[in-house]
This record gives sequence, structure tokens and C-alpha cells, in this order.
Amino acid sequence: MATILIENLTKVYPPTPTYPQQVQALGGVSMSVTGNVFVAVLGPSGSGKTTLLNIVAGVEEPTAGAVRVVQDGVPAQVGYVFQEPRLLPWRSVLDNMLYVQNRKSDRSKREAEFYLSMVGLSDVAHLYPAQLSAGMQQRVGIARAFLVNPDVLLMDEPFSHMDALTGRSLRDYLQRIWAHTRKTALFVTHDVGEAVELADRILMLRPGGVVFDDIPVNLQRPRRPDDAAVRAVETEVLRRFDSMEAAVRFGDQRN
Amino acid sequence: MAYDTSVTPDAVADLSAREMRRSVMSRWGLRAGVVIGWLAFIGVWYVFSGAVLGTQQLPPPHTVAAEAWQVVTGDGFGATLWASLLRVIVGCTLALSASIVLGMVIAYSAWWRGLLGVLTRFFVSIPTVALAILALILFGVSGLGPMLTAALVATPYVMSSVAQGLTGVDRRLIVMSESFGRTRSQIITGVLLPSSVLAVIGGARQAFALAWRITLLTEVFASSDGVGFQIRRSFESYDVRGLLAWTALFIGLMFIFENFVFRQLERRAFGGAHVSQATAESTQ
Amino acid sequence: MSYAADLPTAPEFSQASGTPQSAPAQAVHWTRKPWFINALAVAILLVVWQYLYSVNERVPSIDEVVSFLGVELGGGSHGGVSRGEFWGPLSISLQRYVIGLAIGVPVGGLLGLLIGGSRRFRSVLNDTVLVLLVLPSVVWAFAASLWFGIGSTAPVVAVVLTAVPFMAVNLSSGIRGLDPGLALMSDAFRVPRLRRATHLLVGGALSNAVTGVRLAFMTSWNSLLIVEWFGTASGVGWRAKHWYDAQRFEGFVAWILLFVVFITLLDWLVLRRLEHRSTRWQQQPTLTFAEGEVT
Ligand SMILES: Nc1ncnc2c1ncn2[C@@H]1O[C@H](COP(=O)(O)OP(=O)(O)O)[C@@H](O)[C@H]1O
Ligand SMILES: [Mg+2]
Repeated sequence: MATILIENLTKVYPPTPTYPQQVQALGGVSMSVTGNVFVAVLGPSGSGKTTLLNIVAGVEEPTAGAVRVVQDGVPAQVGYVFQEPRLLPWRSVLDNMLYVQNRKSDRSKREAEFYLSMVGLSDVAHLYPAQLSAGMQQRVGIARAFLVNPDVLLMDEPFSHMDALTGRSLRDYLQRIWAHTRKTALFVTHDVGEAVELADRILMLRPGGVVFDDIPVNLQRPRRPDDAAVRAVETEVLRRFDSMEAAVRFGDQRN
Repeated sequence: MAYDTSVTPDAVADLSAREMRRSVMSRWGLRAGVVIGWLAFIGVWYVFSGAVLGTQQLPPPHTVAAEAWQVVTGDGFGATLWASLLRVIVGCTLALSASIVLGMVIAYSAWWRGLLGVLTRFFVSIPTVALAILALILFGVSGLGPMLTAALVATPYVMSSVAQGLTGVDRRLIVMSESFGRTRSQIITGVLLPSSVLAVIGGARQAFALAWRITLLTEVFASSDGVGFQIRRSFESYDVRGLLAWTALFIGLMFIFENFVFRQLERRAFGGAHVSQATAESTQ
Repeated sequence: MSYAADLPTAPEFSQASGTPQSAPAQAVHWTRKPWFINALAVAILLVVWQYLYSVNERVPSIDEVVSFLGVELGGGSHGGVSRGEFWGPLSISLQRYVIGLAIGVPVGGLLGLLIGGSRRFRSVLNDTVLVLLVLPSVVWAFAASLWFGIGSTAPVVAVVLTAVPFMAVNLSSGIRGLDPGLALMSDAFRVPRLRRATHLLVGGALSNAVTGVRLAFMTSWNSLLIVEWFGTASGVGWRAKHWYDAQRFEGFVAWILLFVVFITLLDWLVLRRLEHRSTRWQQQPTLTFAEGEVT
């Protein structure tokens, strides 16, 4: 069983020539996620969501704090779906899949083809990424994350760069695939509806990278974005955001 | 309740200092790398000079430095340098003015692009050494050959990079200007020229680097003064020390122009916001 | 016609818009046909040549050069004094050229990979490579002939030393221009170093590498000719010098034409193909979607 343990995670970026001020991207985030749960991290742009995922994925160093991502006591295999597809433009779709596959065997190619078929892309395996639409590219990104047989799935606003209708159908895909595998998932988004539709639990981040709320979502799956129950939770989440904003504004005035 | 910062401002300052230290250290690490690189370069030179080729064949760095110093302080250095520099500047100016005109022509006319493309391919496939000797045949031993050859060789390259800069102009800005009823000349002065300043500066820098190389080469064959002539004289008297000393001076000169003249020009043009990489790529 | 429409499309732009470039079926006016433009270019060059011939008595005429070429290529007799030689010098020079490039291109490529792929290597090696790049090829040519005498070593060394920095600089700048997001992706998936070097770095910078190869080919050919001109008694550069020294300028110009033919053939047969392959992924038309995909 996979566990993500995050303790007092802090990231401060030093000033750079283009932005001559230090930025606190994460201000002491703590959380613990265990088992087959789908956790959404919800926050506006610049609240440190990408930074959080990068640190969890081990591609960025925290300034302070600790992260442990383990599966049965050993470091867990991570699958990462990025905000943009991040495919090698000069490799075919299938080669892009094989690029991340570390345990090579004679079954490698068949596995890659299986995950491509899971996202409905069997027919385009030989094409270059630029020949696909944005939605198709992102589906390759999702298939790629599943291909490495991850214990933990990290997803960074995977549907934010496409139109709402495509995003909707891809969320549907994702729900179905996830229900099938039930990997521990950390899903970052700025879209309240998306978070409620997909997650078992929503962590709410505010700018500065501080978790200010943690809401369980106990709704039946599969969910539709227009279900009344989903709408109700959405309203509640938005209400809590508003009161947080009011508190921050109030706090600012007092300072 | 919901709103609390787990990290106090003091702690953040502390942490930030740690990140700063980290980035400063990595910066110093890279600087140390540069020093190590130069030491290794000089070390390898000493090894080759002492153990592989012999000091006669390859004088060690300090001998070459001493020779370079003698050249600089001796008489005639200023005249030699000036002879070459003048040719470079004239050649470069010719190349750049021709390139701006031709660059505009090929950026906006497919027909001219086709014709100049064929001619360019022809000129580019003539080895520069052959051009240098042709200059000698045409002009004899004179200052004119190096200058014109430099201009001729540099023009195709500079022309195409100027044209690329012009075609790279954001078409949406032009469409926008048209939709507001701007005239052709307003679009040229308001959109095209400002957006292609970088291309022209890049072209100037490229022209300069190329002009130096070609002038030098042509002076080797067809001149009785200038840096290229000195290099040839060193070669003919088997004087490796002089050859390397003149070469080192030449490289130093290029470095000075690159870092002081062209950097400054770019800073001027872009208010420091756009600092480009050294021109390695553009130096054919 | 709108002004914007006159602008040729920059390559990046046509990619970004992703539309397949369909060839318009309309007839092209004959003055715009490639054969006409090529013929016009040749005519211009011939007219310029003829003009130079008429004003400068050292310039050989067109038919002098053509008949000289015939003798030199056919191995006939140059006015009873010496025999035409073409394949001999050519094969010697080609050997030197190929050996030099076979060493210089891989070495430069490896250097470029190191400099582009690692900040540490870059800090150590970058300045040295830049110095090599700035060094005029005539200096290499002179130094190599002073060091190695009149054999084949000097030309080979000069070719190697000229090719290395062009390869290194172009490949490394291509690598450094890669999207950092792709490196981060590879980190996240723990892609091993070797595969990353071959698939990410080389794959992504392939077109820059090909540019490097092209420049290396062109400039080291030039270096080879200089060494042969000054420092050897064999090869095509020496042959050209031979006719120059004999004041037979028609021979010299004929050899320049041969050089041009050589480079043009090299360009068509090798470099263009390489270039085309390395950019193949940029030239594919976008799919049209027929399977209910919302784009
Ligand atoms: N490499 C970096 N250097 C400096 N500041 C950064 C860097 N990466 C992110 N930031 C800053 O950190 C903050 C959080 O960024 P990010 O994690 O990307 O937010 P989100 O993904 O929630 O939009 C932003 O203010 C951003 O400008
Ligand atoms: Mg983000």
C-alpha cells in the first residue's frame, strides 16, 4: 500500500534577475495520504501546486521539511501527468511510451500498446505528437503515467490546457481508468468542479502555499459533473474559499 | 482556525538565506569550473610543448605571452592592427548595408528569394581560400582585395539572418496595425524596424566575425600589411612563436569586440532586459 | 492584397498553426519556375565573368577554362608540357578529408553532448571550445604544417581541429535550447542516463547536430585546401597551387569550379538528406479527426 507523507514542506525561491524578490511557494505543508484514495489539491494559480508535485516526484529540492513516498516500506514508483503533455516531439507516440519504461522485456511493447488502447489511441501509436490534438496528446501523457505501473499517480492540472468539452470527456476517461486500478492519486487543480467530481478528499491551498482546509468528499462513483450532490459539495467548497479570502483580507487590514 | 501560517516570517528569511547560499555556492562552483578549464587548457599546452611536440615546435604559453607583449609594445603594431581593422570595418559595413537591403528584398519577394538563393548557394560553396586567391588575381597585392572579399563572403550569411529576423516579426502585430488603418510606411517604422533591430545587431555581429576571418585569410595571400600578413611572415620564417602570439592577440581582440562593443549595443537596444548568449553559434 | 499576406511564413509559424501545407494547384508563371531562376543565375554569373575577363587581362576566358577542364579531367596533355591529373589528387584529398571528419565529427559531437548536457562540463570546457572556434582555419593550417611537415598528417589534423569546435558548439547550443520540461519529465520517470542522452539530447538536437556537421564539412574542406596549398606536395589544393604558380590562371579557375562542384554534390548527396531526415518530425501534416475527437 502506498503512502505519501509530507511534513512541514517549505519552498522559498531566491530572487532571480527577472523577479528580484524571493517567493514563498510552499509555506509548511503537512499531509498524509494512504491507500487507494484520490486526493485533490485545489488552489488558485501561483499557490504552489506544481512546486508541491515536483517535490513529491523528487525532481525538486524542498527548502525545508520532508517528503516520503513509500510502497510497502520501499520508495514508491511514481507516475506523473504534467500540465502540458511533455512528449518528445521527435519520437512517435509509441516510442514516447517506451522512453519512460525502465523494466524492459519482450512484453514492453505490448504493455505500451495496451495502455494506449486504454485511452483509445491504438490507431495513432506510430504518429508524431504534433500530429495529434491537445486532448490526444494529454491522453498519451496519461497512458504514459500508467505504463510505469506506478504506486502513486501525480497529476498537475492535466485538463487545464484544453477546452471544457474535451476536458470533460477526458475526466470521464480518467475516472474509469482510476476506478479500474485505484492507485493512490494526488491530483492538482484550480477547478472546483473537477476536484469534486474526481476526488475522495480535497486539500485547499491558498497563495503562499498554505493548506487551509481539508474536505472529505463521500459521494458514489461514477460521478457526473451535473449531479446535484456534486453541485452541493462544489458550493460548499466555494463558500470556504470565500471565507478564507475574507479572513486574509481582514487580516491584511489589521496589519 | 483555517487561516494560519505554519512558517513565521523570520523562519522564511532564514530559509531564504539557505536557498541563497545554495545558489551562490553553485555559482561559485561553476566559476571554479571555468578556472579549472583554463588551467587545464594551459596545462595541456605545456604538456604538448614539453613532451609531445617540443618547445621549438610549440613554444610554451609564457614564451608566447612574452612574444605577444613584445609585439604589442614594439613599433608597427598599431599600424598593422589599424590596416586590418580598417579593412574589417569597411568590409563589414559594406556587407551589412547590402544585407539589410537584400534581406528586406528576400523577406518580401519569393522571386528574389529564389534567385538570390541560387547565387548564394554558389558563393557559399566556393572555399574561402579560393576567393582569397581570386582576390589576389583580380586586385593584386593591395588592400582592396581583403575588403571586398570579406564583404562578399559575409553578405549571404548576414543577409539570410536579417531576412529571418524580418520574417520572424509577429504577423499578428501587422494584421493588428492594418486593422487600425496604418499605412505601409507606418508599419515599417513602427513594427518591422523595431522588431528587427535584434536581427540587424545579430547580423552586424556575424558580419564582423566573418569579416575578420576572411580579411585575415585574404591578407595572408594578397596583402603586404595587416595581421594576416604578419601571420604569413611568421609561417614562412618557421616562427611558431610569432604565429601563436599574433593568433592570441587576434583572439583577444575578438573577445574585446564581442564583450564590449556588441554586448553594449544590445543592452542599448533592449534596455538590459534581453541579454543574449555569446555569438559562438553565429561565427561561421 | 493585404500587406501581411505578402510576408513569407516563418517555419515556426506554419508549425504552430499545424495546418497541412497543401500545394496550390494553380499554374506557376514561367518566370517563377525553378529552371528559369537557375538559368538566370547562371547567366548572371557568366555575364559577370565575361565582364571581368574584358577588363582584367589576368582573368581567363570561359572557353580557356572549359578546354582546360577537358584536358585535366581526361588526362590529356597540357600543351605537351605536362599531363592532366584529376583522380590522383582527388583521391588523396578525399582520403585526408574523410579520415579527418571521421575523427573530428564524433569527437566534436561527444564534446557537444557533454557541454550541452552538464553545467559542470560546460563551465570547464566551454571557453576552450570557443577559442578553438574563433581560431581562423589558416592558423590551424599553418601550425599543422609546421608541426607535421609535408605528409598527410598535417591536413588530417587541420581537418579534425576545424571540425571539432563546429560540431561541439552547434550540438551543445541545440541541447541547451531544449525544453527544460522534457528534462524534468525524464527526471520524474527516472529515465536512465544513456537512454536520455540518445533519445532526449541527441534526438532533440539532431537538427542542430546536422547543422554542425554541415559547417564542419564546409570549413574543414577549406582548411584542407589551405594546408595542401601551403604545406604539401599532393592533393587538390596542391594541384590548384601548381597551376597558380605556373601563372596558368585558367587551370586555377578550373579547379575552383571543381571545388564548387564537389561541395554542391556533397550538399545534395549527403547534407540535404541528413537535414531532411533530422527534421522529418516537423514536416508531418496534422491529423484530421474523424473519430469523434474534439480538438
Ligand atoms: N523556478 C522558480 N523560480 C522562482 N520562482 C518560482 C519558480 N517556480 C515557481 N515559482 C513561483 O512559486 C510560486 C508557486 O508556483 P507554482 O508551484 O508553479 O504554482 P501553481 O502550480 O499553483 O500555479 C509562484 O509564485 C511562482 O512564480
Ligand atoms: Mg502549476
